[in-house]
Amino acid sequence: MTWLFFQAVVSGLLLGGVYGLVASGLSLIFGVLRIINFAHGAIMMLGMYASYWLFVLVGLDPYLSILVTGPLFFALGMLIQRIVIEPNRAAAEHNQLLLTLGVALFFENLALVLWQGDFRTVRVWYSGASFLVADVLVEVPRLVAAGGAVLIALALWGFLRLTDAGKAIRALSEEPEGASLVGIDVARIRGVAFGIGSACVAVAGALVTPFFYVAPDVGESFNIMAFVVVVLGGMGNFLGALVGGFIVGLAESLGAAFLPGSLKQLVVFGLFVIVLLLRPEGLFGGRGGR
Amino acid sequence: MSSDQRDPVATPIGRRRFLTTMGAASAVALAAPARGRAQAREVKVGYILPVTGPLAFEAQLALNGLLLAVDEINGAGGIKSLGGAKITLLPGDTQNKVELGNSEAARLIDQGVTALIGPFSSLVAFSVRQVTEKNKTPFLLLATVADNVLEGGLHYCFRMQPNARAMATLTVGNMIEMAKSAGTPIKRVAIMHEDGNFGTTMGNHVEAFAGKMGYELVQRVPYNLRSPDFTAELSKVKAARPDLLLISGYYGDSKIIAETAAKLRIGVHALVGLANAAYSNPKFIAENRELTDQLFDGNYWHNPQSPRARAVFEAYQKRYSATMSNHGVQGYQVVFVLKDALERAASTDREKVREAIAKTNLADHILTQDAIRFDDAGENVNATPALLQVQGGKPVVVGPARFVEAKPVFPVPKWKG
Amino acid sequence: MAGRIGLFLVVALLAALPPFLPKYALEVLISVLFFGYLGACWNILGGYGGQFSFGHAAFFGIGAYTSTLLFLHLGLSPWLGMLVGGALAAAFGLFAGYLSFRYGLRGPYFSLVTLAFAEMLRVIAVNWKAVGSSLGLVVPNRGSAPALFLFAEKLPYCYVILAMALAALAITRIIERSRMGYALAAIRENEDAAEAAGVDALSTKLSAMAISSFLTALGGTFYAQYFAYIDPSLTFGPAISIGGLLPAIVGGAGTVAGPLLGSFVLTPISELTRAVLRGRAGADVMLYGLILILVISFLPNGLVGWFRSRRAATGRTA
Repeated sequence: MTWLFFQAVVSGLLLGGVYGLVASGLSLIFGVLRIINFAHGAIMMLGMYASYWLFVLVGLDPYLSILVTGPLFFALGMLIQRIVIEPNRAAAEHNQLLLTLGVALFFENLALVLWQGDFRTVRVWYSGASFLVADVLVEVPRLVAAGGAVLIALALWGFLRLTDAGKAIRALSEEPEGASLVGIDVARIRGVAFGIGSACVAVAGALVTPFFYVAPDVGESFNIMAFVVVVLGGMGNFLGALVGGFIVGLAESLGAAFLPGSLKQLVVFGLFVIVLLLRPEGLFGGRGGR
Repeated sequence: MSSDQRDPVATPIGRRRFLTTMGAASAVALAAPARGRAQAREVKVGYILPVTGPLAFEAQLALNGLLLAVDEINGAGGIKSLGGAKITLLPGDTQNKVELGNSEAARLIDQGVTALIGPFSSLVAFSVRQVTEKNKTPFLLLATVADNVLEGGLHYCFRMQPNARAMATLTVGNMIEMAKSAGTPIKRVAIMHEDGNFGTTMGNHVEAFAGKMGYELVQRVPYNLRSPDFTAELSKVKAARPDLLLISGYYGDSKIIAETAAKLRIGVHALVGLANAAYSNPKFIAENRELTDQLFDGNYWHNPQSPRARAVFEAYQKRYSATMSNHGVQGYQVVFVLKDALERAASTDREKVREAIAKTNLADHILTQDAIRFDDAGENVNATPALLQVQGGKPVVVGPARFVEAKPVFPVPKWKG
Repeated sequence: MAGRIGLFLVVALLAALPPFLPKYALEVLISVLFFGYLGACWNILGGYGGQFSFGHAAFFGIGAYTSTLLFLHLGLSPWLGMLVGGALAAAFGLFAGYLSFRYGLRGPYFSLVTLAFAEMLRVIAVNWKAVGSSLGLVVPNRGSAPALFLFAEKLPYCYVILAMALAALAITRIIERSRMGYALAAIRENEDAAEAAGVDALSTKLSAMAISSFLTALGGTFYAQYFAYIDPSLTFGPAISIGGLLPAIVGGAGTVAGPLLGSFVLTPISELTRAVLRGRAGADVMLYGLILILVISFLPNGLVGWFRSRRAATGRTA
C-alpha cells in the first residue's frame, strides 16, 4: 500500500509538471486578454502533430523540435489573436468564449480531415528508458517532460519579471487602462501574450510526444485539465498555474490508485467545482470569478 | 459492375439526390420493403462503416476484406442461382456517429439494398438496427461486439463474430487451459479495461465467470481511454499480485499500458489482450517489435490450418501489400455468409434472404470455428475467438488446439518481476 | 400581419411535408427539429438570460435516463416518465444554478462550471452499474405502442419532435413577452444595474434555469425513444451540449425563431459537406467552427438579428 501511494505520487507529479506548463499558457492568456481560451488543447494537439511530422519527415528529435515549434506556434498564436480575437475584443465575454470554441472545433477537425484519426506515435531511443527508485518507477521521457515544463515555465516567469516586454504584459494584465495611458502598445502586447501562451502549450505537446500518441482529439483531456489547474492556481497567476498543475496531477493519480472504477475524473472535476464556487480567485489569488 | 469503390462518388448525395428522390417521393414512401426483381442482374449490398473519422484505419481494413470477397465472388461468376448476378457494393460512411449511421442506413435502404453490413461501433449498431428492423432489411453485424446489440427480439440482425461473452469466456478459458498444461496454473486474474461499452462488457464477463471458471478476480480497473498516464492504475494491479492481466482497450491506450506494465515489472505470467485493438494488429506489431513480442490476444482470426484461409491470407497480402488483420477476416467472411444465403434464397427479396441467413449452416469458411449457424437471436452459435501470440513479429494461433500453428510461450519471462 | 401569415405557412408546410419525404430526408428533418428544439431550450437560459451553459447535456441525460429507467423497471410509460425526468432535471438545474448564481459565477465561469457538472454526471453514469454504466440502456423493441412512446415508423416521431419544437418556441415567445422576459433582458444587458433597479436576479435566473432544464430533459426522453438506446457518452457528452447551443447562436440567441432557423441552416450544411467532400470526416464540424467564428464576428445577433437589421435598414416595417 505504501509503495502504491508513492508510485502514484511520483507519476502524478510527473504528469502534473506538464499540466502546469499547459495551464501557464492558458493563465497568461487569461490574465492579459481576459478570455478563457477554449482552443488551448487544440493548439497543443497541433503542436504535437508538428513535432510528429518534423520527426517523421526530417528526423528531428521531439525535444529539439521545440526550437522550431516554439516560434512557429508563437507566430500562429499571434495570428489567431489578430484575426479572430482582436477584432472582437469589445464583444461580450461569453461571445469571446464561443469564438475560441469555434477555433477549437476548426482546428480539431482540420487535423481529422488532414491526418485522419489514426494514432501516430514517435519512437525515439529514450522512449523506453526508465529507472527504479526504491521500487518506484520513473520513466525518463516523463521526467524530462516534467522537468522541461518547469524550466520553461520558470524561464517565462523570469521573462515576465525582468524584460520590458514582460513588464508590459504584466502591466496590461494588472491595469489595462493605465497601461495604454503610459504608451504601451496594447494591441501588440495582447498578440504577444496569446502567442506566448500558444507557444507554451505547443512546446508542452512536443514534450509529451515521446510517450503519448498523437491523434486529433488528444488535446481535449489536456484542455479540461488546464481549466481546472488555472482555476485552482488562480486565473492570471502564472506560478499558481505551475503549482496547481502539480496539485491536479497528484489528485488525479491518487484518485486512480485508490478510488474504484474510473472515478479519478470525478476527483478532478469535484475539485474544480469546489474551487470555482468557494474560491474562484484560486488558491494563490488571481483574477477571480466574481 | 465494379466493386472498387474506395471513393464512392458515383452520385453525390445531397442536393441532387434530395431533389431526385423528392420527385419520386410518393412512390418511395409507400414502397413495400421488398424491392428489386427476383432475377436482377445485380444484387445491391450496402455497407455502413466509419470509413472516415476516428476509426477510419480499422474500417478500411474491414472494407479491404469486403472488397476482396466481392471481387472473388463476382470474378467466379456471381450468384449462380440468380443467373450470375454480380454483387454491387454500395457505400455508407458513418464517421462513427450515431445519427449518421441512421441516415446512411436509411439512404441505402432507399437505394434498394438487399442487405446491410456494418457498422463497427456498438453504439452506432444500436440505432441502425432500429432502422433495419423497421424496414425489414437483413443486417449483418461487422466488428460489433456488445452483447446487448441483439437483445430485444430482433429478426433481421445477425452477428457472425463471437460476441463479448464468447470472446471473454473462451479466451480466458483457453489461457487457463494453456497455463495448466504448462504447469503454471492461473488462479489470480486482473483486468484493465477502457470504461466505455466495449471494455466494460468484457470486464463484466470476466468478473461474472470468475467462480465458474475457477479463478479469482483480484483487481478490475476501468480506465479513461484518453488518459496520458496509466501508471497509477497499473500500480493498483501490481499491488494485487495477479497471475494474468487482461487488457481490453483500443490502440493508443493499449500501447501505453503494455509499455508501462513492462517497466513496472508487473509480475504476471502473461499479458493478454481481450479483443484488443492493438495486440494482434499487424501495424502495431510492426511499429513496436520489442514491446509486442509474446503478447497474447484473444481475437478474431483466420484459421491457419485451412488451405482456403491461407489462400485468402495470401491474396489479401498480394492485393493490399499488408497483412490481413482480424477486421479484414471479418469483412471477407461476412460477405460469403451473405453469398451463401443468396444462393439458397435464389432471390434478392429481403424476406427470403433473411430466411436463408437464419438457416445458414456454412462449413466452408476461413474462421477458427465449426460451421457458421445462427440461433434465434441471430448470434453465431459456434463463434470462437482464436488465441494468438505474437512470435517472430507476427501473431500466430496458439489455441484452440485444433487450429494451433505454433506452440505458445508461457509464462512470458519479461512480464515477471 | 405578413409575419403571421408567413408563420402559419411555415408551420403548415412543416406539418404537411413529412409523409412525402423519403426515409433519408425524414431522418434529416427529424435531426433538424431535434437540434432546433434543444437550441430553443438552451436559448431560454442562454440567449434570453445571458447565462451561457456549456453543460446542458446534464439535463438531457437526466431526462433520458429517468424515463428509460422508469420504463424498464416499472413499466411506466415514457410519456409520464418524461415529466418525472423533467422534474428531476429542473431540480438539478435549480441546485446547480443556485450554487453557481449564489456564489456569483458569471459569464465564462458559469459556462465552465456547467461543463464540469455535465462531465461529472457522465463519469458517475459510466461507473454506476445500476444505470447500466457504459453498457447503456436498451429501449425494447415493441413494434407499435404509441401509449408507450414507441412507434413502428419514423413518421410519428417526426410529428412528436415537431410539436415539441413548436411548443418550445411558443413557450419562448410567452416568456419573452412576460415580466420574466423583461427581467431576463435587463439581467442580460447588465445584471448589476438590473439588481439596482429592483430585479431579483437570482430568482429570475433560477426560473429560467428551471424551465430550460425541464424542457431539455424532455428532449432526452425523445432521444431515448427514437434511437432506442442511451449511454453516458451519448446523453451527457459535449456533442449534445454544443449541438444545442450552436443552432441558437447561429440562428440568433435571444430570439424566438433563432434556434430553429439556425438548425435548419446548420444541419443541411453538414449533410452537404459530407456529400460533396466524401472521404473527409470532420469537414462539416470544421465548417461549423468557421461559421461560429463568422457569426460571432459579423452577425452577433445571429441570422434573425441580421434579417431584422436588414429590414430596419431598408426602412421596411412588418
